[in-house]
Amino acid sequence: MARTFVTMAGVAALAGVLAALSGPAMAQYPDRPIKMIVPWAAGGDTDNIFRPFAVEFQKHLGQPVVIANVGGASGTVGAREAQKSAPDGYTVYAMHDYIHLTFYAGISDVKYSDFEPVCLVAATPSVLTASAKTPWKTWQELADDAKKRPGEITVGATLGSTSHIFPAMIEKAAGIKFKFVSYDGLAPRMNALLGGHINLTDSNLTQKGKVEAAVLRFIAIASEKRDPEAPDVPTLKELGMNIVYEVARGVMVPKGTPAPVRAKLEEACAKAVKEPSFAQAMKLQGTRVAYLSAIDYAQFLARIDGESKTIMTDLGLIKK
Amino acid sequence: MSIGRDGIAGLVLLAISLVLLVKSFQLPSLPIVPVGPGFYPAIVLSFMAVASALLVLQDILKRAPVTVEAGELPRRNYRLVVIAFAIVGLYVMLLPLLGFRLATVLFVGLLQVALGQPRTIRQSIVLAAIALGTAMASYFVFERYLLVLLPRGAWTGF
Amino acid sequence: MLDLLANGLVNIAQWKYLLPLFAGTFIGVIGGALPGVTITMTVIVVLPFTYGLDPLAGLAAMTGVYVGGSTGGLIAACLLGIPGSPASIATTFDGFPMARNGEPGRAIWLGVWASVWGGLLGALFLVFLTGPLAAIALEFGPWEYFSLFVLAMAMVAGLTEASLLKGLLSTAIGLLITVVGHDPIGSVPRFTFGSEFVGGGFPFLPVLIGVFAFAQIMTDLEKLNGPRGQPVPSLVGVKLERFSHLGVNLEIFKRPFLLAWSTIVGLIIGILPAIGGSASSVMAYDQARKFSKTPERFGKGHPEGIIASEASNNANVSGSLMTIMAFGIPGDAVTAVMLGAMTIHGIQSGPLFISQNPDIAYGIYAAYILAHPCMLLICIALMPLMLRVTSVRMAVLAPVVLVLCVVGAYALNNTMQSVYVLLLFGVIGYVLVKLGFPLAPLILGLILGDQIEINLVRAIMTDPSPWLFLTRPISGGLLVAAALSVALAIWQHLRHQKRVAEEEPDF
Repeated sequence: MARTFVTMAGVAALAGVLAALSGPAMAQYPDRPIKMIVPWAAGGDTDNIFRPFAVEFQKHLGQPVVIANVGGASGTVGAREAQKSAPDGYTVYAMHDYIHLTFYAGISDVKYSDFEPVCLVAATPSVLTASAKTPWKTWQELADDAKKRPGEITVGATLGSTSHIFPAMIEKAAGIKFKFVSYDGLAPRMNALLGGHINLTDSNLTQKGKVEAAVLRFIAIASEKRDPEAPDVPTLKELGMNIVYEVARGVMVPKGTPAPVRAKLEEACAKAVKEPSFAQAMKLQGTRVAYLSAIDYAQFLARIDGESKTIMTDLGLIKK
Repeated sequence: MSIGRDGIAGLVLLAISLVLLVKSFQLPSLPIVPVGPGFYPAIVLSFMAVASALLVLQDILKRAPVTVEAGELPRRNYRLVVIAFAIVGLYVMLLPLLGFRLATVLFVGLLQVALGQPRTIRQSIVLAAIALGTAMASYFVFERYLLVLLPRGAWTGF
Repeated sequence: MLDLLANGLVNIAQWKYLLPLFAGTFIGVIGGALPGVTITMTVIVVLPFTYGLDPLAGLAAMTGVYVGGSTGGLIAACLLGIPGSPASIATTFDGFPMARNGEPGRAIWLGVWASVWGGLLGALFLVFLTGPLAAIALEFGPWEYFSLFVLAMAMVAGLTEASLLKGLLSTAIGLLITVVGHDPIGSVPRFTFGSEFVGGGFPFLPVLIGVFAFAQIMTDLEKLNGPRGQPVPSLVGVKLERFSHLGVNLEIFKRPFLLAWSTIVGLIIGILPAIGGSASSVMAYDQARKFSKTPERFGKGHPEGIIASEASNNANVSGSLMTIMAFGIPGDAVTAVMLGAMTIHGIQSGPLFISQNPDIAYGIYAAYILAHPCMLLICIALMPLMLRVTSVRMAVLAPVVLVLCVVGAYALNNTMQSVYVLLLFGVIGYVLVKLGFPLAPLILGLILGDQIEINLVRAIMTDPSPWLFLTRPISGGLLVAAALSVALAIWQHLRHQKRVAEEEPDF
């Protein structure tokens, strides 16, 4: 028994030495790697946007930015993890508009106001996309058909998230009715769309290759103006629907993060989004660089939150 | 009426499936989904309830003593298993408090002692070296090369 | 086509591609061998390096990781009885008993060579039949997926010798585990009893590692006769035997049908998105047993089990590559990351990818083919070191392996949640094994649980008619096959019960 005690004491002493070696903390922020929580799986759209961003971001922060993919339950697992993290600036949260929707749908109790905004990074316009196995070449043909067969045209969507809300806004504006089928994530939606198991879905310009190969059709884009990458695709505004729908992605930190730390992050973010290599990476992602400072981003979030609440109420998806 | 290990396991599973089956009917449903979130669990749980009921039945009907003579098998050391589980439990509990590096040194050291006590000073040194080495090596490999930010201690900040 | 492939091979054989390919394969083998480190994690590690590289160099490195990782898992599976990656689950069933019987070298090399041949056979399909085979993926709507998963479970529930009923119950437990937490359609919390921990659900990987690692290590600890006294024996406790590569290859080629069929099973499962190597290895294992002349030897160190599992999980890689080559649709996380890398380099994925970028497409084919000899070289170099594990004392091995498991679970999400799940299912897995419940059906239930539910609900949402499951030809055929599979399992079971008395389960 005495021997055990000696051994354990030795182990404890070694542990103590290790602890002492760690040295005085908090010299100058940031003095160690920063974790960026991406609440979706690796290889998804959000991941593909924040990985090139992290490369530029860490260059201007002077410490590695490590992406942690915390996926699951429509992005709410990552949101909760970010909310619970210590507000010391070593955990940042890469988020998009889903947070407003999951809150109002009652899926999660995490609200955008549980965080402090750092900056808005990018916005990806949604594109209404049809399977080539459908007869519609234009929006007009689709709308006419939809009026004849209400509730029969199938739309693949992540229920209660952006890919659901966008087609639902079109439903409302055009006075038609779709049938929604649950498909989480763009990859399974594309598979089903190519196979003709669904008729329509929300996608983005990253799917251009499939349109060129004539297995998909872009019906309309939800941006202000036509995109130079796909000049033939009309905007919803041109088609008489006042819908501009972009998935906006930005960086947040848990509430209570000190102001100097936030300022440092914002400064690095502002420089990172101006890098030409980042602009190039975003162009390939069918996304525009959309920088907003912390103050502007806060206003933007408040506006989107209000809009989301209205839309969710209209759709009957809001938590009772 | 004698009931064996299988019978007890079957009863436990039957109880779990029935309780959850009741729960699955109480789940709220969404307006646009034709079947509620309880639909599929109810299928699984019904299947499970039937299978576990059959297991209980089989166990009661079998009668034949399935007890294996204890002498044939090597004596099982369940005490060690309980100790090992307790040590792992302690490790998992301490991880977020002490941080990965400290907790791991303690865990590897402690479990080694539990499994085979060192009898000489040299063995103790080897034991400590393994504990330290495992913690340092896994920390460096994962944190530096595999981009995993391991837990830091809430108590130690390390 | 052949000249394009030849060009591709010559192209890849340059140092600037060969080096990343080799490095990727090396990292893949190591990552695969560590329990808890997944291929997805390993490929993400490689990702940042590929930004700066020529696109083909980056893709070659990732292909190497994929191939190396699919093989590396067998090392831990054979030597520790814990699958190094989910794709090597079925390898543990026979690889570990074989190693325990004193033939760790034979077990590992059977696996490595089966991986090589299965992978290369898969390459033939990949190069020549990508178009038509990938089209299968598009034919699969929710009805077909649902029926396929029912077939998979019907196959595996019958795998166990001891009790068919316990096999079915294990499947049900596996399915039940996936149901807990937020539902996959509308994220309604289910069976959480108000607990945030339970609400997070039980992700596949920590459950898998927990169940296997703890069941294995704790069962070994039982056999240690007290902490005092005699020195603690090693995990495998055997001296390395002499084995010959030629002998191992002969063993594989004596069973050409087994090799070919396992490859095809792996390939088809690979083509279909969202299933992956874990299911393909388990399904190929089941098929091998059904067709075997000696089904009773499975689970006790039968070479056929190792060959089936490893040939199919490497062929699975070629299947997954098909759908990104043909349509630009990733079937799993690894190919999703590869596709992301292509996008970063401005390569337009989609059906025109192969014709617009023949250099890159055939470069990937060539990298896939060459990754196999690379992997073989790496295994030859590493194996003497790896086999040393067999002589490490249990008192040292157990804590080190458990630390790796904990880190692996943590790394999945970078959260403690997964570590708690690991521990919880360590306890549950150990208890289930003690009660004689087989783990394979549980694991398959766990892999497929979510997908079965999602596809069932999708089918109902698309069209409420339940008859479609039977009237759609592929779906109907799969359900008939499922029924036949159960019938066959019952028949084999009854025949087997007559011959062998029940044995005490000894995991």
